[in-house]
Amino acid sequence: MKNKILIMILVVISSVTLYGCSRSKPLVIWVGAEVQDFFQEKMEEYVIMFEEREGRAFPFEVQVRAADTGTAAGTFLDDMDAGPDILTVAHDNLGRLLSGAGAIRPIQNEALIAQIEATNPQAFIDVIRADVQGQSFLFGVPYEAQSLILYYNRNYLSAEDVETWEGIWEVAQTNNVRSLSITGADGFNNSFLVLASDAETGERFVRLYEEGVLENTEFVNDEMISIVRWGQAFFSHPNGARLASDSGWEADLRTGTSLTVIGGAWHFRAAQAALGNDLGVAKLPRFTITEDHAHGSVSPNTVMQSGSFTDTKMFVMNRSSDKLEYLEDILLFLTTPEVQEQSFLRNQTLPAYKNALESFEGMTADTIQGQLILAQLEMFNHGIPQPFGREARFNVFYYQRQAPDRLLAIFRNTNNQFNTVESIIEEMNLIERIWLGERP
Amino acid sequence: MIESKNRLFNRFMSKIKHFIASFTNFLKRSIKHFKRPFKEGSKGTKGSYFIMGFGNLYHKQYIKGGLFLTLQLLFLIIFFTNPKVNNTPIGFQAIRNFFTLGTEVGDIFGGLADNSMLMMLFGVVTFGLIAVFLATYKSNIYSSFYSDLRLKEGNKPTTFKEDLAELLDSRFHILLLTPTILGVLTFTILPTLFMIFIAFTNFDREVVPGLNLFEWVGFANFTEIFTGQGEIANRFIPVLTWTLTWAFFATFSCYIGGILLALLINKPGVRLKKLWRTIFILTIALPQFISLLAVQQLLSEHGPVNAMLMQLGILDQPFAFLGQARTAFTARVSVIVINLWIGIPFTMLMTSGILMNVPKDTYEAAQIDGASKFQAFRNITLPYIIFITTPYLITSFIGNITSFNIIFFLTGGDPNVPGSVAGQTDLLVTWLYSLTIEEGDVNIGSVIAIFTFIITASATLLSYRRSKAYKEEDTFQ
Amino acid sequence: MMNQTETHLNPSNKVMLEGMKDKKIKSQSASNRRSTILAYVALVVLSVIWLYPIVWIVLHSFRAEFRDGIFVGIVVSNYFPRSFGLDNFIRLFTMTPFIRWFFNTLFVATFSFIFSTVLVLSVAYVMSKLKFKQRKFFLNIAIIIGLFPGFMSIIAIYYILKSLNLTETLFALILVYSAGSGLGFYVAKGFFDIIPNSLIESARLDGATNAKIFTKIILPISKPIIIYTALLSFTGPWMDFIFARVILGETNREIHTVAVGLYYMVHGSQYADGNQFTMFAAGSLIVAIPIVTLFLVMQRYYIEGVTSGAVKG
Repeated sequence: MKNKILIMILVVISSVTLYGCSRSKPLVIWVGAEVQDFFQEKMEEYVIMFEEREGRAFPFEVQVRAADTGTAAGTFLDDMDAGPDILTVAHDNLGRLLSGAGAIRPIQNEALIAQIEATNPQAFIDVIRADVQGQSFLFGVPYEAQSLILYYNRNYLSAEDVETWEGIWEVAQTNNVRSLSITGADGFNNSFLVLASDAETGERFVRLYEEGVLENTEFVNDEMISIVRWGQAFFSHPNGARLASDSGWEADLRTGTSLTVIGGAWHFRAAQAALGNDLGVAKLPRFTITEDHAHGSVSPNTVMQSGSFTDTKMFVMNRSSDKLEYLEDILLFLTTPEVQEQSFLRNQTLPAYKNALESFEGMTADTIQGQLILAQLEMFNHGIPQPFGREARFNVFYYQRQAPDRLLAIFRNTNNQFNTVESIIEEMNLIERIWLGERP
Repeated sequence: MIESKNRLFNRFMSKIKHFIASFTNFLKRSIKHFKRPFKEGSKGTKGSYFIMGFGNLYHKQYIKGGLFLTLQLLFLIIFFTNPKVNNTPIGFQAIRNFFTLGTEVGDIFGGLADNSMLMMLFGVVTFGLIAVFLATYKSNIYSSFYSDLRLKEGNKPTTFKEDLAELLDSRFHILLLTPTILGVLTFTILPTLFMIFIAFTNFDREVVPGLNLFEWVGFANFTEIFTGQGEIANRFIPVLTWTLTWAFFATFSCYIGGILLALLINKPGVRLKKLWRTIFILTIALPQFISLLAVQQLLSEHGPVNAMLMQLGILDQPFAFLGQARTAFTARVSVIVINLWIGIPFTMLMTSGILMNVPKDTYEAAQIDGASKFQAFRNITLPYIIFITTPYLITSFIGNITSFNIIFFLTGGDPNVPGSVAGQTDLLVTWLYSLTIEEGDVNIGSVIAIFTFIITASATLLSYRRSKAYKEEDTFQ
Repeated sequence: MMNQTETHLNPSNKVMLEGMKDKKIKSQSASNRRSTILAYVALVVLSVIWLYPIVWIVLHSFRAEFRDGIFVGIVVSNYFPRSFGLDNFIRLFTMTPFIRWFFNTLFVATFSFIFSTVLVLSVAYVMSKLKFKQRKFFLNIAIIIGLFPGFMSIIAIYYILKSLNLTETLFALILVYSAGSGLGFYVAKGFFDIIPNSLIESARLDGATNAKIFTKIILPISKPIIIYTALLSFTGPWMDFIFARVILGETNREIHTVAVGLYYMVHGSQYADGNQFTMFAAGSLIVAIPIVTLFLVMQRYYIEGVTSGAVKG
């Protein structure tokens, strides 16, 4: 009896040990949750294609997993060996991925390089290119683009109302609700104010690491001070903007306690679940600097257009992958304009393909999905790709040293510590110094 | 005052002297221990000093000798061939690497950089291996020496079977403890040592092991926390203060609430005691991630509680109780109150048992003497309960210092403090979590871990002295 | 070492006192009755407060609300759902790997409870009843180590597991849960301490080995403490979040445990559909039913265990 139990325990232990140790490593690809099923199917197609072409079985099992593209790079860097073979990142992570010895492999397949250069807008090619040892390489394969847009409640707001923040604000005041919920406090979310530009001239007033140079950065000037003061008026007003409630921004939208939300395409399904047919999509509104906010040389009644980071999502290759020779061919297949078009039709993703607008079917404003795409495309005229290039530091300075928190604190002005222009300027100077790499 | 300081100093010095003396004693004894078998033992025993298992083989204990020999060979092979795990060697190179923490910076077309983290880890592992080896080495010598002694007494050396049988009897404790010792060494002591070492490096968010190196920086992180100008230094004292405040209020509010609830349930005349108790135990039985996330949603701005308060006319617009609260005070009061919901049932359980054990004869006697119920409670029940639950109070205070779930699931540390990772309700442990797991500032996180350890350890020492006093006291009356 | 309070538990004494009390109750004045009624009122109010969130989450796991044909899964302000249905459960089983999570957790819980129970009882027995040279030393070490909260070194544990090639496996989780479990031996030691030494000595005189004494004499009379230990170590993996999250990683959803899986339904952006509170509620219900039942059935042992542990300190 006792022996039997002992043997049983031994069998269990050894089988568990075997279970733990005998895993074969599949080929793993990380993509955003919204396109996981799509790319799983595409990879099945690829495997069939590979087997027909090569006349042999594809040597690995393929797993397409959902990973938050915002945090994927960080998760990956925590443990490269356990990471995927191919992962999706927003291009602004390039610097982190290339720090030190570099975690990702430059693209060397000529066909793939040709495809990248032929199908992508120059702005994207610029930000995925980096110099290593005096040579210039492409490090990612763009396949999706993203920018911030406005989701709004059509029960309350008409298409004209959402052309200006003031229009939304007025409706919010009549209904005693909030104008806007922002989904998070980071530097991406506040770009609708930081990247605001003159609606007439298109001139943008903030300067962020232009040409990849740290010193080409400027936050404090008359225009930006005016914009920040306008932002403060907007956020500190009881019917203005707010950070999403702790029930979630979806609940804010659904209950009508906030009329609009700024988000990306990845928020679309949740926004639709919250508002159903009442959901409207538009490009980010304009706002007018009034006398109260105009500072220095800025003339009152200047109209500003909210801005947005216009990023590309791209595939990069894990340099520690033991399947490197297979990866570029897979990427060549997964990022063709045709696949981008299929993904657009099915998942409403905005393709990175530069001629998408003319050549893709269904790029019309008839459906809400079409509006989603068009609004994003329009925002491309009012935004810039995140300008961090291969400098990991810039990304850290801009996002990770709590500058976004400080900016939001000016806007919200909860304890009235930013009532005077001087205190605002002082804090803006501090933020600028953080962007420039100083520790506060 | 000065005198007492002096006395304290003297006591401290004498403690140190005592420690040094006992340490040198220990060394002397060890050396004597080490020499003795060589002087008094057989040839086999002397041979064991050079080849492990030699003595056992000499005594014809082939299996045991073989095992020792294999262990020695295994150790030497590992130590000198430096096998690589994840591209990082274990062995004598690991010792060197432990001090340099890597030199190879790598490049994108060549190899990766040295992995400083693994180098440190394997350095510690190698030191551990050496210690284990030395211990086996000593037991190898003594194994042979005992056989010598047995022979002298006219007994045969033990067979392997007998040795195994001993494991079930006189050495049963070794059999029972070994798995735990191994487990604790690998998954508690090793990681803890490792974290302590990390506190002396610059392994922060800008370092990615395998891409860039980190290095030893001495006490820089400690001085950063205490004298630095940065965010960490500014937030350390507030977070520490809040942690202690939280622990104090959480402990005592649950303690008092729990006693009252226990009194209520155990009140003579109240029926269905078991049913009431079961209702309150539900929150203990329910996994905390479920109950806390549910409460968080329940109290959120568009949740039913806010809706109810608005219907009753108490509020005219949604009120943020937790992470989005307008003031730190609101959020802090909220978490302490919600903690009652989780914590009271625990104290209720503890004190229920104790209440039933209150020396009833005294109690009854007091009542007959004409003492009012309240007086009886104040003079008999309360002192008894306080007396007997003091150790529990201290453990629950420590538990609250390191209570992670409540804060993590309810507020995530928010309301946010602009310019800092640590929010208004962040405890040391949740701050540590965001610093290490989310932000990657492992070095600062480790320093905070060490401080949390010091705080909990001193509280425990206190509780130990208390419970010792308790043990020495025979009766409480 | 008998706890001194035990003496007051003398059963005959207790019965007598109860009898006395009963007589008293009969002669209670109206004010006493009023205070009893007040106590009931207080208990009912408190019970409502305690049960409110639990009932709420159960109700909302059966909520099936749609807006323009799209399922609404976020938290809503009404206490009673407007319409009921099984949609949450169906979605949980078809759209998420919840069944996998459940069996993963069951797998981990089963093994770690077997290992932990064996380890805890072994260590407790050694520390309580076996006399050997380093006993005091081990006791002290165990106390000091026990003070270092486990998850502080979680990063290091992660890398150790990684060099064993074990991260992102359930086996790693079993290892982590069981490895240090032996340190939680206090309650069981307290239990063994009460067993009279004479029992062991007489067995020794009969020639029983220590192993025999442990398995044949001690364990059969230790049912309460075995159940207590097993209960805690079995429910642990269902409740733990941090270790599971860090060791199993965020992206391979197939190997998550219920805690990690359900957490992401109300937090984070793993789900394209955003906050899925009702699905979380449904999953919670499925997890909570067996765990809570287990707890309530074993209540007696649990209470015995925690109270003895607490009073000893």
